[in-house]
Amino acid sequence: MTSSRAAAPHAGAWLLIGPFLGIFALFTAYPLVRAVMLAFQQTFGPGAAHYVGWANFDFLSRDPMFWKAAKNTGVFTLGSILIQLPLSLALALLLNRPGLRGRAIYRTIFFTPALVGVVFVGMIFMLLFEKRTGLVNQALHAAIGVDLDFAWLETYIMPAMILATLWQYVGFNMVYFLAALQNVSRDLVEAATIDGAGAVGRFFHVTLPSIRPIASFVVLLSIVGSVQFFELPYVLLNGTGGPENRGLSIVMYLYQTGFQAGDLGYASAIAWVLAIVLAACTVAMRFLARGEDA
Amino acid sequence: MRTNSDGDAAAIGRIPFGPIVILVAAVASTLLLAARPAQDRHEVRMWTFARLHHQIYQQQVAEWNVAQTPRIDLSLLSLLAIEQRMLSAFLAETTVAELIEVERRNAARAFAGPLESVGFVDLTDRLKAEGLDQAINPASFSPWTTRGRIFGLPHDVHPVMLGYRADIVESAGIDVSKIETWDDFAHVLGPLMADRDADGRPRRYLLNLWETHFEVIELLLLQAGGGLFDSDGRPTLDDPINADVLVQLAVWCAGPDRIAADVPYFSASGNKLLLDGYVIASFVPDWMCNIWRNEIPQLAGKVKLMPLPAWKPGGRRTSVWGGTMLGISRTAANQEALWEFAKYLYLSPISARELYTKGDIVTPVRSLWSDPVFDQPDAYFSGQAKGRMYIELAPHVPVRHSSPFGAIAADRLQTAAISVAAYARRAPGATRAELLSEARRALAVAQADVLANVRRNSFVRADFHEEAGQ
Amino acid sequence: MIRQQAQSADSGRIGGALVHAVLLASAALIIIPLIWLVCASLKRNEDFFTSRFLPAGSGFLGVAWERLTLDHFRSLAQLGIGRAALISVFLASVTAVVATMAAAMGGFALARLRFPGRRLAESLVLAAIIIPPTLLLAPGYQLLFQLGLLDTMAGLILPAAAPAFGVYLFRQATLSSVPPQLLEAARIDGCGDISAFFKIALPLVMPMVSAFLMITFLGTWNNFLTPQVVLQTPSNFPLAVTVAQLRGVYYQEYGLLMAGTLVSIAPLLLLFLLLQRDFISGLTSGAVKG
Repeated sequence: MTSSRAAAPHAGAWLLIGPFLGIFALFTAYPLVRAVMLAFQQTFGPGAAHYVGWANFDFLSRDPMFWKAAKNTGVFTLGSILIQLPLSLALALLLNRPGLRGRAIYRTIFFTPALVGVVFVGMIFMLLFEKRTGLVNQALHAAIGVDLDFAWLETYIMPAMILATLWQYVGFNMVYFLAALQNVSRDLVEAATIDGAGAVGRFFHVTLPSIRPIASFVVLLSIVGSVQFFELPYVLLNGTGGPENRGLSIVMYLYQTGFQAGDLGYASAIAWVLAIVLAACTVAMRFLARGEDA
Repeated sequence: MRTNSDGDAAAIGRIPFGPIVILVAAVASTLLLAARPAQDRHEVRMWTFARLHHQIYQQQVAEWNVAQTPRIDLSLLSLLAIEQRMLSAFLAETTVAELIEVERRNAARAFAGPLESVGFVDLTDRLKAEGLDQAINPASFSPWTTRGRIFGLPHDVHPVMLGYRADIVESAGIDVSKIETWDDFAHVLGPLMADRDADGRPRRYLLNLWETHFEVIELLLLQAGGGLFDSDGRPTLDDPINADVLVQLAVWCAGPDRIAADVPYFSASGNKLLLDGYVIASFVPDWMCNIWRNEIPQLAGKVKLMPLPAWKPGGRRTSVWGGTMLGISRTAANQEALWEFAKYLYLSPISARELYTKGDIVTPVRSLWSDPVFDQPDAYFSGQAKGRMYIELAPHVPVRHSSPFGAIAADRLQTAAISVAAYARRAPGATRAELLSEARRALAVAQADVLANVRRNSFVRADFHEEAGQ
Repeated sequence: MIRQQAQSADSGRIGGALVHAVLLASAALIIIPLIWLVCASLKRNEDFFTSRFLPAGSGFLGVAWERLTLDHFRSLAQLGIGRAALISVFLASVTAVVATMAAAMGGFALARLRFPGRRLAESLVLAAIIIPPTLLLAPGYQLLFQLGLLDTMAGLILPAAAPAFGVYLFRQATLSSVPPQLLEAARIDGCGDISAFFKIALPLVMPMVSAFLMITFLGTWNNFLTPQVVLQTPSNFPLAVTVAQLRGVYYQEYGLLMAGTLVSIAPLLLLFLLLQRDFISGLTSGAVKG
């Protein structure tokens, strides 16, 4: 190695990064270039393609289905972040209580669903959300005594998917918050207590700023995951968008237009819009996370 | 790799338990898989999506493989998996199973694009040369036909009847033979809804139907003479007949004199409600008999079948739900032999019998309809000779025109149906005329949306649109 | 003063009880679907929708134990669930080992080595993380065909062999736990970049190795769409695909489906309950320190 280093000063570095670059070039960059070309084509099934310029993007801007999918995806993403993350943080705060007994057991239980694959979560919740025999409606019926005559996966698809995702990931995100909370300086907390800050004040002035980097990481992870959600509706709704497309996500619509209707060109245009939105979110979150260091 | 070996000894103490477990798993599973005996490679792969078909075909495929070539390797895949692999392969122009059995919605997706690039072999000339276009019930070809060319061998006819709780109906002294039209249906069975719970709601409803049951809505449109596409493949969602059906649907499901309830098909909760007698009648195509028999054995001897009530006196007493074809991939070698196999599997008298006795499905081959097996009483359906009943309806099954935009059209139809039902719920006093104008509005939106999708596509403009004189 | 202390201890005790109440309730909500799953996999089809958890009867705890059945598991065995499990283990473990190695190497190079194109490689990693995989599904499928990798294990393992997210995580881990001074010292001693990685960096990022192995193992085990598209021969299907196949189009065998789901997730749960300390600490270390 030493001799090769002398001969080619960067050979080692290239060998180390090489596998990533090679795989990236072959399995990401090359298909990506083809996807760029596709976005400016109109395709219809096998072998037929026309160059159409910006027509795909133009149609997309006026396509009610795309906007419906975008709205659903937005609702799911916001639901995931605004409901799931505060609950995760709350659980983490509870578990972080000094001297709490059974912390490891609680943590294990909360984390367990994150190990279950989305396809299996879909299988389980497909049955739990059934109209009358589903456990969810039966439990609600037992709790409030009202006969719930609705099917989650028809009437309240988005809430149902937010719930299933909440079940799956609340503990996963909690683990991140828990790790962050353990890094919060006790001295700072005590100093704030001596200064007369209440629990709420301590939370907002000490805890929250301290966990900001990891919180923004978790938010980013949630956004990237939610915006691309596909497998859950694919399993729950059997490859459709559900009644009135209430469960249509952007990636699902992309799949439908590309693989079911055969218009890979339009699907690529959708994918590009999605990629740009994700890139914007990532940049924004990195900016927010850095704000702390500055 | 060099560094790995000399680093191992030093690092092993530091490597935690987890990586060791995964490393061991990697090595062990690789060895086990490598030791796996080489698979018996068959010459031809066939995919089917129905467990029942898989069971029925196994024997026949084994017999074929003994006597004939090529050897067929039959596998069972989920419909979504078949659709995904089939479309991926067709779109990427790669190879796929040589023989694919596929349901009509998925098949229609393969008919996208110019005729010459459809992934299945065009069977039209073969069918005509051998007279099979006449021997097989003509309506059975329509889902596999695009622009006049046929791309699949039909598996079935799938006429639809109503399956009803004969025990409940008969103990109330009601005679269903008095029912000829849907109006009669509501009128004759009406007394069964008199039983109310504490809140004054009916304990049972007459019909299993809901605005979300889009497959049933489509079959009702077809029965009434409407539909989603005309024979040129142009969308016809705004057909006035469709609007009438959606109004009736809204009256049944959401009107003040509601007679329909949502008993989801293919679900545990639906099965439970059928068992409870929450609805009297459900739409039952031949294949559904098999599902009932297997999933709700408790209903044996308590249910019967009757032809669908007509929309008008003297009108059509059946419709069609579902449909399967066997297609040969365009990339397959030896297509003549595959065609022989397809006929052997689908058209033989033995197949027809097997399909009916094991799967309750009626063959599309008209000359086989005289088989006495169809006259046998079926104990599950209270001794009715249900095979004969379905066969008598088979010639009246409506034609469904296929389209690559079928999925979009079905989706927009459902949106329209939901919107009319929602309107009826919001305005319980709405007159039929008001509902009709809402139905027309919703269907016009749906039609425009489907047309926008058709129009933006230059390939289709050439193929359907201008050809059809637009 | 004394009164105040007594009061706060008292409120602490009440608070503690409240905390436990909330935690217990949450834990119950989390665990119930899994208990339901176990019950569902043991029920006959005719009992499936007539009882919530287990069929009621006169047996111990008011349950009709005699109505429970292991038939679904026997059917699964006949359907080749054992082979599917072996394939899942193979795909998950081999992908995990290969991907972790490639990611650790790449992450180290990006974090601590200077070479032309490093900034570009870094941007590629970030870009690759946010590319929706669906964008690449169709062109990717065509590529696998051109490479002759369709319906092969390599067609699944190779595209996943150097994940950008892993490179990113290892870059963060290297930045935080491999001091540049240590590498500088090694370099002065004549140690090359590659030996520096294996001898110095890799042991220092071992928590991340541990975690990323498990993250990849988990992700591959649970991956459904890619194997469903790439693999075509049923005897090569992993668990996720095999179990999804159990779902009929019209005909549903709920017990069988739930038994298949249980069989697919149980080994993972067991493995990770054993290894969770490594897994969780590694998982969070990248984010906390990065």
